Amino acid sequence: MNSCHKIILVNLPTKHFLMPAYTLTINGIQHTVDAEPDMPLLWVLRDLLQMTGTKFGCGVASCGACTVLADGQAVRSCVWQVQNAQNVKITTVEGLSEDGTHPVQKAWESVGVPQCGYCQAGQMMTLAGLLNKYKQPTEEQITNAMSAVLCRCGTYHRIRKAVQMAVEESANK
Amino acid sequence: MKKIAIDRRRFIKITTLGSGGLVLGFTLPGFSRAAGPVPCDHFQPNAFIRIDKAGQVTIFVGKQEMGQGVNTSLPMIVAEELEVDFQKVKEEIAPFGSLSKDAHDTGGSQSVTGSWEELRKAGAVAKAMLVAAAAKKWGVDPGICKAENGMVINAVTGQTLSYGELACDAAGIPVPTEVKLKNIRDFRIVGKEQRKKNLKDMLTGRAKYGMDLVIPGMFYAVVERCPVLGGSVISVDDKEALTVPGVVKVVTYAGTGKPMHMRAGVAVLATNTWAALKARKLLKIKWNEGDRNKENTEQLFKIFAARAAELPQNTVHTIGDTGVVTATKSRTLTAEYAAPFLAHAMMEPLNFIAQVKDGQCELWGGLQLPDWTVDTIAKECSLERNNIKVNLALMGGAFGRRLMCDFALEAVKIAQQTDKPVKVIWDRTDDIRNDNYRPANYHRMQAKWDDQGALQSWEHHVLSTPISWMTDGTDIKDVSENLGGAHKDFWYAVPNVKTTYSPVDFNLHRGWLRGVEPVQNVFAVECFIDEVARKLKKDPLQYRLSLLEGRAPFTAYWEKTVEPERLAGVLKLAAEKIGWNQKRKKNHFLGIAGHMFFCDSYAAHAIEIELLAPKKFRLVKIVARIDCGLVINPDGLKNQMEGGTVFGLGQVLKNEITVENSRVVQDGFNNFELARYSDVPEIEIHTVKSEAKPGGVGEVGVATVSPALCNALAAAGQRPRSLPIKNEGFTWV
Repeated sequence: MNSCHKIILVNLPTKHFLMPAYTLTINGIQHTVDAEPDMPLLWVLRDLLQMTGTKFGCGVASCGACTVLADGQAVRSCVWQVQNAQNVKITTVEGLSEDGTHPVQKAWESVGVPQCGYCQAGQMMTLAGLLNKYKQPTEEQITNAMSAVLCRCGTYHRIRKAVQMAVEESANK
Repeated sequence: MKKIAIDRRRFIKITTLGSGGLVLGFTLPGFSRAAGPVPCDHFQPNAFIRIDKAGQVTIFVGKQEMGQGVNTSLPMIVAEELEVDFQKVKEEIAPFGSLSKDAHDTGGSQSVTGSWEELRKAGAVAKAMLVAAAAKKWGVDPGICKAENGMVINAVTGQTLSYGELACDAAGIPVPTEVKLKNIRDFRIVGKEQRKKNLKDMLTGRAKYGMDLVIPGMFYAVVERCPVLGGSVISVDDKEALTVPGVVKVVTYAGTGKPMHMRAGVAVLATNTWAALKARKLLKIKWNEGDRNKENTEQLFKIFAARAAELPQNTVHTIGDTGVVTATKSRTLTAEYAAPFLAHAMMEPLNFIAQVKDGQCELWGGLQLPDWTVDTIAKECSLERNNIKVNLALMGGAFGRRLMCDFALEAVKIAQQTDKPVKVIWDRTDDIRNDNYRPANYHRMQAKWDDQGALQSWEHHVLSTPISWMTDGTDIKDVSENLGGAHKDFWYAVPNVKTTYSPVDFNLHRGWLRGVEPVQNVFAVECFIDEVARKLKKDPLQYRLSLLEGRAPFTAYWEKTVEPERLAGVLKLAAEKIGWNQKRKKNHFLGIAGHMFFCDSYAAHAIEIELLAPKKFRLVKIVARIDCGLVINPDGLKNQMEGGTVFGLGQVLKNEITVENSRVVQDGFNNFELARYSDVPEIEIHTVKSEAKPGGVGEVGVATVSPALCNALAAAGQRPRSLPIKNEGFTWV
């Protein structure tokens, strides 16, 4: 929060605080939002920008449903405060590709992974982040990354198939 | 082809099909018959089908999609009879009220089984009207026309008219009272793998779940609920909470009794979710917890164990008389099994939007039983049923949690205290701590056999915290907790059978979880039959088959037919696929279990493990075999069986809700542990080719996982008898 905001704040009635403004780069587009500094990016995306592809599942980084990419790396947006999200290239599932043709999305489509589909953005963003980090991740790296993302419908068996497909494509690039 | 432009009054047809008395009529909310002349732009012969002039076919899905695939399987059935290209068909949620009361209900694996005939007829009726319209235009007998791929073809001249071109003419054709259905051997869509209709939307973030809906001007709310069921609010200090930027208001409401048992709550309303979450932590609430705030699950299981050997309260089912069977101790086996309360924990936490203004109420969200919801809200919130409008939404999982509607009722109670729409959002702790839980249950089993080793007596005493006591009150004697091999459906041929039930009260709300009672009872039945076989030194598969094969079909509860041969069939095939009779690697062991689920489906699981230490194992492979009659969408069926298998795996390995001082101990995924990617081995799903009436597949894949794994562990030397097995010291890699 800068000093300018602090001064204005004092003069406002309690329910109408002027919140600090943050400029975020999301899917290549700059957005300016007024938010409390500790508001997690998840709620900035969902409530302030109405980008609802990123899902709320737990709020404490225990399920992975809210995973986005920060400069290409997988991050849980439910515990990433907006004040720390400036000057970072943020990618959400809406921006993973223009038309759903990112290799991870293609693999997911080809295998027909989802049931309810709610967790799948987090699953795909986690793998996309892993493939940005390692072109050819080891089995252990894959298991560690994917085991941190929960799916109550139990699509893990298909996720594994889709992961193999996407990893192969990544390796052949 | 000629362009057709006919101005005619659009109207709604209400019709009854002569044959089955089937009502395909519908009403569209807000549509008035007296609307006056409007240009025809589409054909909508019933609630399920709409064909516009451009030829776009929309199929309305009357059942609620929560991941089980009804938004694909049900349109497949309609499209099959309608003769259209399934890839070009659009699916939409059937608006609430467009079907008869309770027809939107979704649960019990009944969607396909219950809608199959009606949807076929809906498609066939529309097709017949399109054919009749074409025949009329051509001035020919409809008998020489056929429908194919969205067109009517004159078989003599080869002329064609598309459904789009015929739409407005068809709208003027009388609805036929009888239609001919296709021969199932001519099916082109049903029985072929189809991807989910909303697959692409789910993979690009475009799919809108209830959680994603935004109503202009709405407030976001989170609720602090009374920690003890039945408690009330004494006082609230919201001074600090109201200082959080974005917070608008704090409201309080009382809880309700049966059947919903909505807890009393204090809601924070704000302009965004985060503000509401932050402010909730600052509330200072004094609760009256009532006098039932000291109950705990440790004590509950002690009560179960003590009462298990006592005289049961109710007799549920008997064959012959187990009382006259005498056997020495060496020819008697007794065992007890236990399983805990469980939470639903779907990935999309509960959420619901309500607006109440001038006695009018509008709702947005996912519901499994929307009519029950409307009835409940009308009663509990003093609203007119006809003044409640429901907008149904896609669900990110439900598993039975959204059968109850406490969360919708709560949203209305809050919305009644503001003039804006309110979206109530549950966080994961709210979800885990305020569920209606799968009942804790306990089973005492006793078998006796004669000196030839032939089973003479089978006794099963079920003890549980009944759901019906929560929905209907503790004076209810007819509890249904015995379905799934512990009632008239018990599939093994034993001359004397007795099932009994003892309900135990407990101050925690209970409800239906995927697989419901069969999951509880099949665990005990399928472990115990295995124990008996091992005690008699018989192969557990062969022993089961000896009690199934040759047994004639019989009638169970709800007039359901149990076909023991079909169960024997899935057991044999699952065994074959896991290599039951083949030589195995050192330290590899197999377990098997099968059951009949009340949605007319049969399933068996066979599991291979590798024992690494006395209580440490590796899951090598899981094979499931299902016989659900005619398969609608083989891909959807496999996905449901894979998912059911993982759901069951979570239950046998880890899932558990415990209670201390009438409060749920677990508060998130860190301690209510779900199955993860790393827990799941290779899974193989095999189906049985069948032309029998289609059964349900949403729940049948769950129940036999726990007993199959416990039977494999028993084969390896140590049998767990309580779930989850981690509590007995088992570990896995």
